[in-house]
Amino acid sequence: MTIVKDLLTFFMYAVIAIAAQNAVFTRAFGVSRLIRIVDSGELALSKFTLMLTVVQLLSAPLAFFANRLLSGISLRSALRPLVFVLCSGIAYLIVLLVLGLLSYKTQIKSLKDYVAVLGAATFNCSVIGTLLLTATGGYTLLQTMGFALGTALGYGVALLMVSEGQRKIQNRNVPSTFRGLPITLIYIGIIALAIYGFTGHMPSI
Amino acid sequence: MHTDRLFLNNPVLIAGFGLAPIVIAATTLSNALVLALGVLLMLTPTRVLAAAVCSKVPAHLRLLVYALCAGLVYIPTYMIVRGVFGVGIEAVGLYLPLLVVEPIIIKRAERPQPETVMMALRKGLATTAGFLLALFLCAALREYLGLGTLLGHPVAAGAPFPLANYTAGGFILIGLLAAFWRWCQNLFKKYVNLEAKQEL
Repeated sequence: MTIVKDLLTFFMYAVIAIAAQNAVFTRAFGVSRLIRIVDSGELALSKFTLMLTVVQLLSAPLAFFANRLLSGISLRSALRPLVFVLCSGIAYLIVLLVLGLLSYKTQIKSLKDYVAVLGAATFNCSVIGTLLLTATGGYTLLQTMGFALGTALGYGVALLMVSEGQRKIQNRNVPSTFRGLPITLIYIGIIALAIYGFTGHMPSI
Repeated sequence: MHTDRLFLNNPVLIAGFGLAPIVIAATTLSNALVLALGVLLMLTPTRVLAAAVCSKVPAHLRLLVYALCAGLVYIPTYMIVRGVFGVGIEAVGLYLPLLVVEPIIIKRAERPQPETVMMALRKGLATTAGFLLALFLCAALREYLGLGTLLGHPVAAGAPFPLANYTAGGFILIGLLAAFWRWCQNLFKKYVNLEAKQEL
């Protein structure tokens, strides 16, 4: 029964993070990066989302335990960002090492694409923002992991929605001054407004 | 023209950097002051420190070095901002510590060539100025439209556009402001081209 309850908690937090508290549409985490990715059209969205998910899931437990160590220190608010960057840095190095070993052993050429997006997927407001949110919100380890998974998948969903929207709004009917960044921001704003319709306004700060 | 970060190549309204703190936290001018001091104390020192370290660091570790430098610079920044604003710092919540990985501060690490310390200093100051201009402009506009006040003082009978105070309104308003900025930019470029043709 406890296992079922834990699983439910995990998935509930994951679903909340994907939809009702989507990192991009409700908190604007990583929105600058998202717009760059969608605008450039060079990065494979699935590869970026996969790397983001792996890094997020590796750094979340590290940050959870690091935050516990910080709890007795009076300067923890000042130290937390550095410690969380270190946690995501460790996750980055682990993934880089694994990709390097895989590339050496299997000669799969597409692994280079994963290495190319790894930095942008790791040092991202979405990763550090989630770590800060779960640490300051007093989440348990299970809740932290569920929320981390949901945030990464939610970021992937946002990437997909914005790139699909971008494809449809990049036509001649859009005035030239609105093309690119302005129309993308307005489009994200309208999706954020639609999410309000389902969830109501929740303070993002 | 390309190096003008204040108007023609504004890091927020043209390049789209630093959007998260502006969309969420810059809803009033008093919040903007907290963020402005944070960015002022973090952006240029981080860039200079990272530029000094990065000359000997392999390319795939540069983002890590930039983020770590930003994390280090954040410690004194937090203390100064806390000292100046006290509990007012809570108004911007996560968006002050989030500056350590904000692209406006660490994006330079993704370029293939590391920058010199002098260039980092010059561009850091120019980017800071461009960010602060966009930050105060957005915050003033959102406070007026969303609350009908400026720095807490009532200037309108009510809130002309209450949605401006929310995340969705932030996105839409900054999108509109970015479009207006581009329109002004195009007008200026046309004027410069016309002047050049007349001189010829």
